[in-house]
Amino acid sequence: MNCQQFRAHIPDYLLGVLDPVEQEGIQEHAAACPACRAELESLSAVWTKLGVMPEELPGEGLRTRFYSMLEAYKQGMEHAPRNLGWKSLLSGWWQKFWPQRPALQFGITLLLVATALTAGYFLRGEAAHRADIASLRREVNGTRQMLAVSLLEQPAASKRLYGVNLSTRTDSPNAETLKALLFALENDPSVNIRLAAVDALYLFRNDPVVREGILNALDGQESPLVQIALIDLIVSLREERAAAALKHFIRSKDLIPDVRLRAEEGMQRIRF
Amino acid sequence: MNIGKHQALTDTQVMENVRDGKIEQLAILFERHHVPLFNFLVRLTGSRQVSEDLVQEIFCRILKYRHSYRGTSKFTTWLFQIARNAHIDHLRKQKSTYPLEEQWEEPTGPDPAPENEFETGAEIALLQQAMSRLSVKKREVLILSRFHGMKYREIADLMGCQIGTVKAHVHRAVKELGRIYFEISGGSIS
Repeated sequence: MNCQQFRAHIPDYLLGVLDPVEQEGIQEHAAACPACRAELESLSAVWTKLGVMPEELPGEGLRTRFYSMLEAYKQGMEHAPRNLGWKSLLSGWWQKFWPQRPALQFGITLLLVATALTAGYFLRGEAAHRADIASLRREVNGTRQMLAVSLLEQPAASKRLYGVNLSTRTDSPNAETLKALLFALENDPSVNIRLAAVDALYLFRNDPVVREGILNALDGQESPLVQIALIDLIVSLREERAAAALKHFIRSKDLIPDVRLRAEEGMQRIRF
Repeated sequence: MNIGKHQALTDTQVMENVRDGKIEQLAILFERHHVPLFNFLVRLTGSRQVSEDLVQEIFCRILKYRHSYRGTSKFTTWLFQIARNAHIDHLRKQKSTYPLEEQWEEPTGPDPAPENEFETGAEIALLQQAMSRLSVKKREVLILSRFHGMKYREIADLMGCQIGTVKAHVHRAVKELGRIYFEISGGSIS
């Protein structure tokens, strides 16, 4: 093997895919040629060094956004219009734009008022309107929560999913919002929505009612995907009751191997 | 959807089902691939936020272009082709407003042991900085071969080039990365 052939084999050497003959050729040439040996050592060191770069996990919101998109796409396919004239299209567009639910109509109206008042803030003096803005923020926050709870009661899965997403955008959710999220986690027929509820409740996991609800929700879940998401959420609670809940879950349920393994690993990972 | 009962299906079978109208099965592919995809993009862009947005965009594109899936090559090859295109479109939109190096964020992976924490964190930051100075193509081949266990043949299929070209890119990328790391760290790589 000459120097050119040696260099051509370096990428395969790094990936560890050389056959024994090639491997031997590389080693023999490296022993005889100091320049090639130095290059091989240098490149191997870089290759190995890259191993310190950690694997990262995406944020909790990514899964929620994906399932929202998927649900919305499915709904869109189911309700795709066929052969509509321009009048019906225009009417449909308006109906789509202006929701039928009074709660949503109220919410949009409130947001329009908020926009107008915010514009007024810039037209009038700053100091006099700080209190108005703070008050508006509270109102918008309250409206969001009201909308979220209202949406969580809708028959369409896409609307319930939007309700879960909306609840995560509130500053400090009230008891009714949290109750609705916990209800969705335990009872919603859609796996996607139960998963979204798990992600949303992760944000509010410091609330005592939420913690209690999360710990009690595991037994009722049949979907392995929700079971795994919930196990991770329970582990993140880092308390003694979490370990007990996982132990009980492992003993009381006929689990698929992946879920059982995740629960057992979770018990090991819990640090109080 | 009960994802557990679909565990035996290959990626290609699942994607063919998605193409044929069972779009809810896209959830299976999301659960299998969104973390590797996210890591590919984080290492390519250096930004967690951009990478999360791109993962979402990639799965939207899969739905949009599902009818074009033929199943003749590995699903991951098709998936990473979409990922590369989404990344290229993202770079075009950005129009190089900011140098890539300035967009890199602090890594948020698993915590290293306390005694090595500082040293390892510094090494990771230096490596990320060095990676950001490589061309996009060199970064791609390096990430796919080093972190995703892709064979050079698969990378060549993915990038539409000869296997020899991929190997040459890998060789140059590793060499250049070592040189840049040496420069910015003021020491040796070993």
